[in-house]
Amino acid sequence: MKADPSKQSRDDFPYRMSIPTRWGDNDMLGHVNNVLFYRYFEAVVVRFQMQEAGVDWVNDRISPQAVETLCRFHRPLSFPEIVEAGLKVERIGNSSVTFAIALFGEGHETPAATGHFIHVFVDSKTLKSQPIPAKAHRTYEKFR
Amino acid sequence: MSQDQTETRDRYRHFLGIQTRWSDNDIYGHVNNVTYYSYFDTVVNCFLIAEGGLDIRDGRVIGVAVETMCRFKKPIAYPEAIEAGLRTAKLGNSSVRYEIGIFRKGEDEAAASGHFVHVFVDRTTNAPVPIPVPIRKALERIKTPGRVEQGKRP
Repeated sequence: MKADPSKQSRDDFPYRMSIPTRWGDNDMLGHVNNVLFYRYFEAVVVRFQMQEAGVDWVNDRISPQAVETLCRFHRPLSFPEIVEAGLKVERIGNSSVTFAIALFGEGHETPAATGHFIHVFVDSKTLKSQPIPAKAHRTYEKFR
Repeated sequence: MSQDQTETRDRYRHFLGIQTRWSDNDIYGHVNNVTYYSYFDTVVNCFLIAEGGLDIRDGRVIGVAVETMCRFKKPIAYPEAIEAGLRTAKLGNSSVRYEIGIFRKGEDEAAASGHFVHVFVDRTTNAPVPIPVPIRKALERIKTPGRVEQGKRP
């Protein structure tokens, strides 16, 4: 990770997806409300987990749960721009994985927001933490 | 990963009851992680408006979020009503760090806790401005003595 995350570029993030903002994302100050940045974080993390790491949220006995999220807001986003969300794996623990996330606004080289999202794998019945499944682990290694 | 820490009600100076809504729950039947930040937003802004006289419609000064964080400990779910606890952890010239706990009714340990950093700016120029006096006074009232960081007991 570079010293100042707000100076990162899209190329620093191996997994990216476009997220169109919606009219209702803007608050009364005319910018996307801070809460909604986490909705974008969630969108890129959940899609990555399903499409790359093989997570089946409905049927898997062991699945990831959010334990910590953080966002730093560097610049506003605003409807109708299309946001590009970038993700990389920052840390792989025994049962947890930390994703570094950045949100890029249209026409900007540096992120409007950066932060992280920590998932811990838990047994859906007991809610006890479990080792990261092998397939997911291999995927995280590739997206460091 | 977060260090283990206990956030209990006595560590907060102001509380707001919040009714969860049907759409707060996700497919697991628990309040979705993103929604906690909506509770954060609500307790902070309600406090600033009611106790500090913040005029969100016509005031010259607005609060802009610069950093937020939440740790999720225990699930909460619609239809329960929750309580959000608030304290001022650090008061700067134009910025403030609030710390927030989300509590289930009748429970002393927070189901989730985190922080929210606001910087007050001029609505027109976006330049940081000193925190308006009535807001500063309100924030002083809910300040925690002597310590600012979570997880380090005095």
